[in-house]
Amino acid sequence: MTHVLPRTSAPTASVVVPAFNAAATLEHTLTSLRLQTYQDLEIIVVDDGSTDDTPQIAQAIARQDPRLRVVRQANRGLAGARNSGIAAARAGYIGFCDADDQWAPGKLAAHIAHLDANPLVGLSFSGSQLMDENGALMRRAQKPRLTGIGAAHIFKRNPVGNGSVPVLRRAALESIAWRPSCERERDWVFDETFRQSEDIECWLRLALSTDWEIEGIRGLLTRYRITSGGLSAATDRQFAAWERMVEKLTPLDPQFFDRYAPTARAYQLRYLARRAVSDGRGVEARRLLRRAFASSPWPLIEEPIRSGVTLAAATLVDRPLGRALHRVATRPASA
Amino acid sequence: MTFLKDPALCASRDLTRVVHLVDDTTPGGVMRYLDFLRADATLAKAAEHILRPVSRGEVGRLSLDCEVIVSHLSVNWRALPSLIALRARNTAARLIHVEHSYTAGFTALNVPSRTRFFTLLRSAYALFDTVVAVSAAQGEWLRTRALVPWDRLEIIRPAVDLSDFASLPAPRAQPRVIGAFGRLDRQKGFDTLILAFRRIPGNDRVLRLHGAGADLAMLKSLAAGDARIQFHGHVADPSRAMSEVDIVAMPSRWEAYGIAALEARVAGRPLVATSVDGLRDHAGPGVTLVRPGAVDELAEALLVTTSSGQTSAERDALATLSETATRDGWSRLTLRDKHSNNARHAKIEIPSLNRASA
Repeated sequence: MTHVLPRTSAPTASVVVPAFNAAATLEHTLTSLRLQTYQDLEIIVVDDGSTDDTPQIAQAIARQDPRLRVVRQANRGLAGARNSGIAAARAGYIGFCDADDQWAPGKLAAHIAHLDANPLVGLSFSGSQLMDENGALMRRAQKPRLTGIGAAHIFKRNPVGNGSVPVLRRAALESIAWRPSCERERDWVFDETFRQSEDIECWLRLALSTDWEIEGIRGLLTRYRITSGGLSAATDRQFAAWERMVEKLTPLDPQFFDRYAPTARAYQLRYLARRAVSDGRGVEARRLLRRAFASSPWPLIEEPIRSGVTLAAATLVDRPLGRALHRVATRPASA
Repeated sequence: MTFLKDPALCASRDLTRVVHLVDDTTPGGVMRYLDFLRADATLAKAAEHILRPVSRGEVGRLSLDCEVIVSHLSVNWRALPSLIALRARNTAARLIHVEHSYTAGFTALNVPSRTRFFTLLRSAYALFDTVVAVSAAQGEWLRTRALVPWDRLEIIRPAVDLSDFASLPAPRAQPRVIGAFGRLDRQKGFDTLILAFRRIPGNDRVLRLHGAGADLAMLKSLAAGDARIQFHGHVADPSRAMSEVDIVAMPSRWEAYGIAALEARVAGRPLVATSVDGLRDHAGPGVTLVRPGAVDELAEALLVTTSSGQTSAERDALATLSETATRDGWSRLTLRDKHSNNARHAKIEIPSLNRASA
């Protein structure tokens, strides 16, 4: 690995890595960031009160690579860790990579080129390749629409996809930052009262309260780890957080939410149904899908194939044929 | 050389004619602003400000006998051809556009395709010699989004006749009436104001909404069951309505400047407003800015706000300063016109002078 000398001036990009008990995956994540072809970056690991070896691992790598810094705090959750990372970041471009995900080597270079060439774009995103729990690449990917991204599309389809995708302009983050009265140390960009849906809350707030463009670039530049939740309680919590996001943001523009919330809710329920299918919970998947299409039929019209596949999968998932198909669909890419 | 016509002398004899084009003459901030410009004695010494209401179709057919044309027109794709024609038919006149509508906040909530919208604005603004922003915040937006080159951008905040507001008695020390002024329209955010007000307990507070608009029924249904919330319809006399109010709330979703905020400050009323666009220009003593859409923050601000703490001398000073700044801005714009005309004349005249003296 090339050795980069310490520097005093701000780098071009900061990558914030929120890490909570991530000892098993952190080193891979950081290696993927240190191996970025675009080298003028700083990596800020925010140890969010881990009780495992996460801080030691991060410190050890920081000793080898002066571009890496470790910020430690008592546990504040993902949003709180990202906010601390943003406060510590010095660069004009700020990206995020969760401590169990990875970046493809050219990711940062591609986003910087995109942002440099498009001064109206405040958030640059790309697609993701999915990894299984062991880090093996799967034949599944998130391939979002890249252009023509308005607030309605973000609300319905969240093209940013996951929290290890976006690279933002500092000015865009600053434009949605605020200081809650309970906060003494630094601003909030992500809403720390959310333990789930904090990403979509932030991107939708950016879309509805600023004129920054949100735009994607080609390529599957993030490797995003899928972990099976396995509990329907988790699904309920996740949906409750999503509904709280809707409730929170509605005063920004009630007409917008009147118009798009039923369809967005249907997509969100369909997404949760797909997660339930992945975890083999057929009854729950079918229940979620019924709720989804009762909320709005638009996912059937806008995305008939995906909705149809989800319906079929939910119907078959607890039968032998369904289990076989599921194995095929989720087999590793190398198989 | 006394027989030579002195162009500078000519220009100073005739007043510069400034024609203001308006396509929306409904009573409101823009019309009161134009009333101020037309009635102002200082401005009248340098230029004659003429109001010219126009229909959309008419704009492109105008050939005006004046030195300066000021557009207060709305810019959109349909209006673009007529703006091009206006430029083409009035090549000698200096063309100024005052942007009363568009802001970052407007774009955020109304424009799905920002790139396309910015292309429209750039194309339209390029037809004008100067684009006037009505607030520093809007000017900053026009500049950072590269919609107007910095050397064509002026910032002149609007003013209205503020004397009635400056002379109002101070509000009650224990605020009782919260007032809001404006069209009952999504832009003004009165829905969030009603939600916030309903979180304030007790019966000692009243919320008065002054204005008319399409959202009346919706707002009334939000207010249903809370007798403290009153709808007063459109106000003919804003300063009188202000006199009955102790706190002014302006929870707008976007606002190019917000002349009502200035009126509230001059009236010595504490102001609670959203920190969007031109409302940020009003930051100062007695002004609380809250995030748009944050109902809890708005409720908290309305609850804790008591007095603006402004003395009547400070209120007078604010009124005078605002009017002076607006006047100076327009004097600068019209004077610049005179200078550039002189320079144009001078370029033509100097060679002949040289020949005559040779």
